[in-house]
Amino acid sequence: MPFIYGFNFSEASLVKRSLQTIFGIGPKISQRIMAQHYIHPWATVGTVKGSTLMDITEQLSAMNLENDLRREIQGNIGRLRDMGTYRGRRHAMGLPVRGQNTRTQINTARKLNKSDRGGAGRVQM
Amino acid sequence: MPPMPPVPPPLCLKGVRTRLAVPTACFSTSAARFANPPPKRKGTVAPPKRGTRTLNVKKGKSGFTQDTGKRPVQGERRAQRKRIVLTNDNALEVPSLKDLSRSNALDAANEGRVMGFPADVVDALRAVDAFKPTQGWSLFRRPAALMRKETMQLVGLMKEVEGAAKDGQQRKTIRRVLSGDRMSGKSTLLLQGLAVATLRGWVVVNLPDAQDIVNAHTDYAPLPKSSPPQYTQDTYTANLLHQILKANGAILEGISVTTNPKLPLPLPANPTLKNLVELGMVNPEVSWPVFTALWQELLQPGRPPVMLAIDGLSHIMRESEYMSAEFTPIHAHDLTLVRHFVDHLSGQKSLPNGGVVLAATSRSNAPTSPALDHCVKVAEALQNSPDNLPRWDLYRNVDGRVMEVLKGLQDPKTTDLDVIQAGGLTKEEARSIIEYYAESGMLRHQVDDGFVAEKWSLAGMGNIGELERASVRLRM
Repeated sequence: MPFIYGFNFSEASLVKRSLQTIFGIGPKISQRIMAQHYIHPWATVGTVKGSTLMDITEQLSAMNLENDLRREIQGNIGRLRDMGTYRGRRHAMGLPVRGQNTRTQINTARKLNKSDRGGAGRVQM
Repeated sequence: MPPMPPVPPPLCLKGVRTRLAVPTACFSTSAARFANPPPKRKGTVAPPKRGTRTLNVKKGKSGFTQDTGKRPVQGERRAQRKRIVLTNDNALEVPSLKDLSRSNALDAANEGRVMGFPADVVDALRAVDAFKPTQGWSLFRRPAALMRKETMQLVGLMKEVEGAAKDGQQRKTIRRVLSGDRMSGKSTLLLQGLAVATLRGWVVVNLPDAQDIVNAHTDYAPLPKSSPPQYTQDTYTANLLHQILKANGAILEGISVTTNPKLPLPLPANPTLKNLVELGMVNPEVSWPVFTALWQELLQPGRPPVMLAIDGLSHIMRESEYMSAEFTPIHAHDLTLVRHFVDHLSGQKSLPNGGVVLAATSRSNAPTSPALDHCVKVAEALQNSPDNLPRWDLYRNVDGRVMEVLKGLQDPKTTDLDVIQAGGLTKEEARSIIEYYAESGMLRHQVDDGFVAEKWSLAGMGNIGELERASVRLRM
């Protein structure tokens, strides 16, 4: 089982998809990382050399990802809340923060605007 | 005055009534009333209360729509899509069909005849992926193609390449781009070129689909010590070597390696070109050095001429889908294989043992490449109406590298890079192919001048794909 950033992936999973399971890596960053290591977009984890995977892991460990990133985001929201700002309160209530209407359609805000934004653990593939 | 009651029929119906009467029980509803209540249907629950959320579109465990359909096996759908069927047992054997052979392949008398491909040529063509799934090979008993005017033009060029050597001069490298309308037979023309080259003992190198080289579905790596950076595609190149070996095995086996190439892996003692190709085939990481070594070998004096072909030219006349380390798109010409082809197409490199470089354009799967389109249009105009040449639209972005490669098309006389226009068939050619359809039993109609003229017109003045569609595929 190949490891990237301490997580193991099945050999048949795409590198792009595997990278994007890491909190803090989306489509753009995964594309850039793959381009830097000359991995084509349809490559599976099993076809990539072990040394390349280690290089990627090393690169990822220098980035702010997973729990560090969650902690930072939650810290930012917590700061707003502790100061008693309007934005902090709206976050705490799970309501839109930037003046949107709340009559209908605030599902995104309900989903995202929480004090523990980003969830507690790793999202499985 | 009230209306008169109807007069009763004079006939006595007594006997008839007794025969019509149906025995019935007396009317009762008790059976239905005392029957057990019908069992409640499972799963029916009370309608949801107002204000509760009823739409459940979540996937996974909590959602109740689990798709349990059987998934196709990996690669199954692709295999289905790419499947090539070359025979139809229901079609008749055509007794008058003659095969192309080494001796008659370059014969000008073949013009206008339908010629079959011998079995070994079919194998070689299959090995280099020259048959396309959209072509109508599966309609007939065995592969055959019409030797049309454009084919004879191509065959004439090949004859010219072979002929020059006899006079002791260096052999010519002829470069042609195949252009023409959609379904006008460009890919089939390319295939015929490959078939004739195989028959004449040429080395055939075919890049079956340019799209596959540039669409970033195979691995790539920068070529060491290349500046500006070039990129190799090891898996693709190894596969190409495999195809080259399958198509030209007999030729490669008979030639021994003389240039002593520097390769990262050792060759066996007294190697032939077959050993060389096998080395690259088995070890994809050395496939590019092996390919260049093979090419060097083929350029040595006394080696057979080379047929280098590609289908779907416009794919390699733009930026590829690959990304460089700086996250900019890699131009297709920076891929080593494409670079290799393009150098030969532009005339920057030539084939001292003679050869033909063929590039077929496509009209159905062609990304926009304004520079290519323009150059082809100019070359066509030079053949059709030289005093009215199209001009470059100044408001379009020009791809300078493509323009540079194809500038020979604007001056065919000096560069020997020209277009072959696959136009419509003549009426005679149309008659010949329609007779072949009829003899195969795929067209049941008397073939006379009127019928041929009708089909020829329906096919847009003899477009061969449309002709096949109108006479074989869409039979009414």
